[in-house]
Amino acid sequence: MLLCLGLNHRTTPVELRERLAFTENKVPEAAQQIKALPDFEESMVLSTCNRVEIYTACAEKDAAQQLAILFDYLTAHFQLTPEQRDSLACYRLAHADAARHLFRVVSGLDSMVLGETEIFGQVKAAYSIALKSGATGRALNKLFQRAFSVGKVVRNQTTIQRGTTSVGSVAVDLAEKIFGHLRDCHVLLIGAGEMSRTCAQSLLSRGAKSIFISNRSHDRAVELAKEMGGEALHFEDWGKAVHDVDIIISSTSAPHFVVKPELVEPVMRKRRGRSLLIIDIAVPRDVDPRVNEIDEVYLYNIDELHSIAEDGRRERQRAMTKCEEIIEEQLRKYGYHEDSPPSIAGFQRASASGVLPDDDAN
Amino acid sequence: MDTPHLFLLLSTLAFIGGVIHAVIVLRAGRWRESKWHSLPMTAGFLFQSAFLYLRGQAEGRCPLGNKFEVFIFIGWCIVLLYFVVGVAYRLSLLGVFTAPLVALLQTTALFMPAETVAHPYKKMNVWEHLHAPLAMIAYAAFAFACITGIMFLVQDRLLKRHRIHALFHQLPPIHDLSKAILRLVLFGEVLFAFVMFISLQINAPITSAKMLVSWGVLALYAVILLLMLCRTLTARQTAWLAVFGFCIPIFSLWIVTPKA
Repeated sequence: MLLCLGLNHRTTPVELRERLAFTENKVPEAAQQIKALPDFEESMVLSTCNRVEIYTACAEKDAAQQLAILFDYLTAHFQLTPEQRDSLACYRLAHADAARHLFRVVSGLDSMVLGETEIFGQVKAAYSIALKSGATGRALNKLFQRAFSVGKVVRNQTTIQRGTTSVGSVAVDLAEKIFGHLRDCHVLLIGAGEMSRTCAQSLLSRGAKSIFISNRSHDRAVELAKEMGGEALHFEDWGKAVHDVDIIISSTSAPHFVVKPELVEPVMRKRRGRSLLIIDIAVPRDVDPRVNEIDEVYLYNIDELHSIAEDGRRERQRAMTKCEEIIEEQLRKYGYHEDSPPSIAGFQRASASGVLPDDDAN
Repeated sequence: MDTPHLFLLLSTLAFIGGVIHAVIVLRAGRWRESKWHSLPMTAGFLFQSAFLYLRGQAEGRCPLGNKFEVFIFIGWCIVLLYFVVGVAYRLSLLGVFTAPLVALLQTTALFMPAETVAHPYKKMNVWEHLHAPLAMIAYAAFAFACITGIMFLVQDRLLKRHRIHALFHQLPPIHDLSKAILRLVLFGEVLFAFVMFISLQINAPITSAKMLVSWGVLALYAVILLLMLCRTLTARQTAWLAVFGFCIPIFSLWIVTPKA
């Protein structure tokens, strides 16, 4: 019998999630402890920043009782107070519902950012740890191998990964569609707002070569440059850096245009075919829209970035139905289906007695 | 309809079918990378090859004797390069942009006179055999630079107008397209220069009009290449040049190929 006890970003606030997170070196030990519980035969622990889940295979008994044992283990392991235990919301899934939930998790359908791919690697790593520690057996090995194939099928046959859903990832996506890769790209930040910092960090995390930061308050620029491993420029000097950078993110609080065609046009003539992506996050706008008319300059303002991110989210939502259909088909194919409808992983506030959620909850 | 023409028609239909399918899928936002997308190109290529083989057998020489055959041969070279370039540069959607050009060339050819004339065997050295097919491959490289140029212009327009949809996601980055244009023009130019060098060495009679036009094409692409290498023009202007540049060699075919 397959069981899954878990909590995630939807069921549990971060304060409690971080309290219940298994550190990486404790995961094999925890998996062995669960396996040693009465009637439990196999186990696997998945602990990421957004979820803690325990998958087990156990003897055919009352699922509610077995899940209650798991719940007790979890609360005892982390020494939760009775109040914390009472307020802990978990989902308790058995049989096909547990398999369905895992298939949805590896496909990115249960993630905070719908369709994200990082979870696939995280589940793979967690499974590998459980496998090496000898906590898994025939049932879980089969389940996880199938889950990984389902995850691949979902990603290959739907558009769940297509498009971008946040302003930072839109900036990265645009940069990659212009430059191919970012490893030779230099970024200039004009103004050190939170949103521009997020965008710059997304670009750096995807391999951007260097970052220059220019801010009216030079101290703030120095501070941010230190934090991001970049170089601070005096505000009056940022114009000189335009020739050397590939991406400009502007977010000053100036009431007028800061970046104008008169500045960009002569610089572009000297850049010998190198494109320039300008992201204008400021409101009121920092960059004169006429800049977009210059060859090889691509200008995007905050509304356009939000609109692209929104389109990405809608695209992924549209792909959800197809993903759920694939998962149901795969559940049937692998014999996990029990004619229960596809569902978002149900959860319920766990009572002290620890009962299974009612049918329509999962 | 004789067998070669049937193969030609099937080949043209395969390319047209591939384009129609791609356009429908792209419009619906359902395009995903798949090896099946190259199926119409493969089918079209096989029918093209069968046509050229039968035609060559019937004529007793490489089927490059008239405009009809030259158009088909260029189309065949373009698809051949598609398989080479597509694999080497992994340019997504390359087939979607290649197929219409090949279909257009072949449809045009279908309306041309296409009598088969059996030629008596004539002893030729290897360069005499190779010079025309190599010239066609060079033309195909220029055609490919044109196709890549169109892809660049489409992606550039989508980026400029902020149209971030299925086509945008499938098209390659503009820097990759820009590099591909340069390499294709360079390859075509080097090969065509080699062909022109061969033409000076062979004994086959070549009309002065043909020589003039051929040297003109070589000079035109030398200028285009120089402008690209010196980066005098913007990437967009370069792409336009690759697109319009191809009009010259294609129209020159009316001068450099025999009437029948």
